[in-house]
Amino acid sequence: MGFVGELGLDGSVRPVAGLVPMVVALGDAVRAVVPAAGRAHACAVADRPLAVSTLAELVASLQDEAPWPEPPDPPAVVAVAPDPDLADVRGQDLARLALELSAAGGHHLFFVGPPGSGKTMLARRLPGLLPPLDHEESVAVTMIHSAAGLALPPGGLVTRPPFRAPHHGATPVSLVGGGGSSLRPGELSAAHRGVLFLDELGEFQPSVLDGMRQPLEEGVVRVARAHGSVTLPAEVLLVAATNPCPCGGGGPGACACGEAAKARYLRRLSGPLLDRFDLRVPVDRPPIDALLDDTPGESTAQVAARVAAARDLAMRRQGGLNATLSSSELDDVAPLDPAARRLLRRELERGRLSGRGLHRVRRVARTLGDLRQPDDRIGEDLVALALALRSAMNGPVGVVA
Amino acid sequence: MSGITEREAHAAALAGLSAMTPARLRSLLRRHRPEVAWAVACGEHPDRVVESWFARSPELRQRWANDARMRPPGVLADRCVQARTNVLILGTDGYPPLLAGDPEAPAVLFAAGDPTVLAGRRAAIVGTRNATEGGRRLALRLGRELADAEVRVVSGLARGIDGAAHRGVLTSQGGPPVAVVASGPDVPFPKEHTDLWRAVVERGVVFSEHPPGAPPLAAWFPLRNRILAALSEVVVVVESRQRGGSLQTARLATERQIPVLAVPGSLLNRAAEGTNRLIADGCAAVLDTLDVLVALGLETTRLDGPGPDPRPRPSAADTRILDAFDGDPLTLDQVCLRAGEPIAAVALAVGRLEAAGWLVDTGGWFEPVAHPHPATRGMTR
Repeated sequence: MGFVGELGLDGSVRPVAGLVPMVVALGDAVRAVVPAAGRAHACAVADRPLAVSTLAELVASLQDEAPWPEPPDPPAVVAVAPDPDLADVRGQDLARLALELSAAGGHHLFFVGPPGSGKTMLARRLPGLLPPLDHEESVAVTMIHSAAGLALPPGGLVTRPPFRAPHHGATPVSLVGGGGSSLRPGELSAAHRGVLFLDELGEFQPSVLDGMRQPLEEGVVRVARAHGSVTLPAEVLLVAATNPCPCGGGGPGACACGEAAKARYLRRLSGPLLDRFDLRVPVDRPPIDALLDDTPGESTAQVAARVAAARDLAMRRQGGLNATLSSSELDDVAPLDPAARRLLRRELERGRLSGRGLHRVRRVARTLGDLRQPDDRIGEDLVALALALRSAMNGPVGVVA
Repeated sequence: MSGITEREAHAAALAGLSAMTPARLRSLLRRHRPEVAWAVACGEHPDRVVESWFARSPELRQRWANDARMRPPGVLADRCVQARTNVLILGTDGYPPLLAGDPEAPAVLFAAGDPTVLAGRRAAIVGTRNATEGGRRLALRLGRELADAEVRVVSGLARGIDGAAHRGVLTSQGGPPVAVVASGPDVPFPKEHTDLWRAVVERGVVFSEHPPGAPPLAAWFPLRNRILAALSEVVVVVESRQRGGSLQTARLATERQIPVLAVPGSLLNRAAEGTNRLIADGCAAVLDTLDVLVALGLETTRLDGPGPDPRPRPSAADTRILDAFDGDPLTLDQVCLRAGEPIAAVALAVGRLEAAGWLVDTGGWFEPVAHPHPATRGMTR
């Protein structure tokens, strides 16, 4: 028998952080005894765990003086509050498309736009577009959330892709994981199989952003400490947002920043991390006509159906999402037609696209194709759209990537 | 440059005193020679007027005494020589005659470069620091084309329109640039204009009423505008917000009976609110460099006539997209909404238009570009 719980001074037994992974670690051979309040979560990962609410109950049961407390009813499936719906977003066609692509292809997404343009609103709608977690993923995510001490859903398992939005004051440890003796998962792991949203990307400490590069690349976090090292899963869809300049700006002529201040601001963003984003989308406050338009946009359910189909297609074709395609695979699965080739050549010659940027555009074009016209060739229109979806940093003070 | 005379050194030191306003300096130098005025300011020579200033603000005496110790005429003379700056005193030879008649003329004027380049036709180009890319390009073009016509372009070397206008002047071999600045003539502001500043000193002149080494103080910018206006024969405002320094320059010019011209812009463009207001209030509109030359009464036949647009003509479908802009900067979403076309088609058309030079991409915004060929009529932005 294995016992997990915290003993209160009044003899009550209370749940602890890390309950779920500890119960998993006990394995099937060992009967788990958990605090009653944590029973629902233990049920999700172990066969008929025993539960007690006080130490007295436990002692009585172990001495066969009383039966094990009656297990409460199996947890009713409690409806989790639904994710916010995409139909609430007015206008923003380009940004909506970017969300759909991000969900379908696993492309990291970067929004650039002035305050009030709905960057956060858009990002919150991304988890709803992702397929629900399968059982294995649910268990993994639930274990991480339990270990991190996050509130678990009353039904036991986390079944929806998580959405984590750490503040830009976050420390490297809180984001990547680690800490003292009790290595805790960070936000990167808490967002495993879900969305990690970094608002005001430029305001994060450079060391924090640097620490994220390796986990993003490998999908796991490795935390090494004096008493051992831990590997935690961290497959996240990264969504970041920033203002176009320190003042927040807006359209041309509405910005009050000097060129130098603007360049300094963008320099904080550029570099290796910025390079991870396949999609760099400019957003602006929606036009008034779009705000007053009563016809709602497509709902999350409609878009999610297309996303699921495109993900299936990609998994069947190459066994992974499009964001993971290597350049040699791209030649196989995303051949360019002559017009598309000309368009890309033009962008390369103008110095607006780097070699790496070229692959990113091709991957995004492949996902666009999977969503719109799942035939093999990538046409000019898909490439043009993919280019528009990474145009946020173009222009006189932009960066080449 | 020859050395600095005693007289000039004292005038420079007076101008460099803190809290020295144009009115105080004028009052001092109207009544005394610079050497005597310096003694007055240091409290070593009795003067009823200055005593009344000291009486009204007791710390002024202390500040001037401190400044006199820190920056005596000898130090200022060295700085002027080092910065190769002329000291021009109102009422003496060398002071620009066209400024001498101004009611608010600075009593002492510093000039880095050659102040005699002022002899010629002069047009000011001013505008907002927060210009659109279109506005900057236009200022650049106006600057170049006016300089080509041997016009001296007067501007303030600020960010945005001012800087762009002088950059345009420097691409021409014609009329030299004239700048009026609010810091010392050897203190580039903003920093990113250091090279531009040097080039203007090299090719033309930078005027200031503050001696070399003076930092740019916010209060001095509005004062500099009066000199800028007084030195010009016409003032062209390229872009300005509802309330901005360039509108003040326009007002100061109007007070001096100097014609003000403004470039019209879209009603949606915040940077054109001020200029559109000027036009509504009766200022002439600038649709072309020729309009400025006409306002100056210059021969216009020397300029080439409108040439053919070198850009490839867009297809009928792309023209529809371009027409949807109607001169405004738009995001891709807005283009879709206006043109009523799907986003993929719009992205493709906008990409083609941008490659051909009809649009310019500024971080997700697309701005229509005017005819790139010099001197064309019907310049739209």
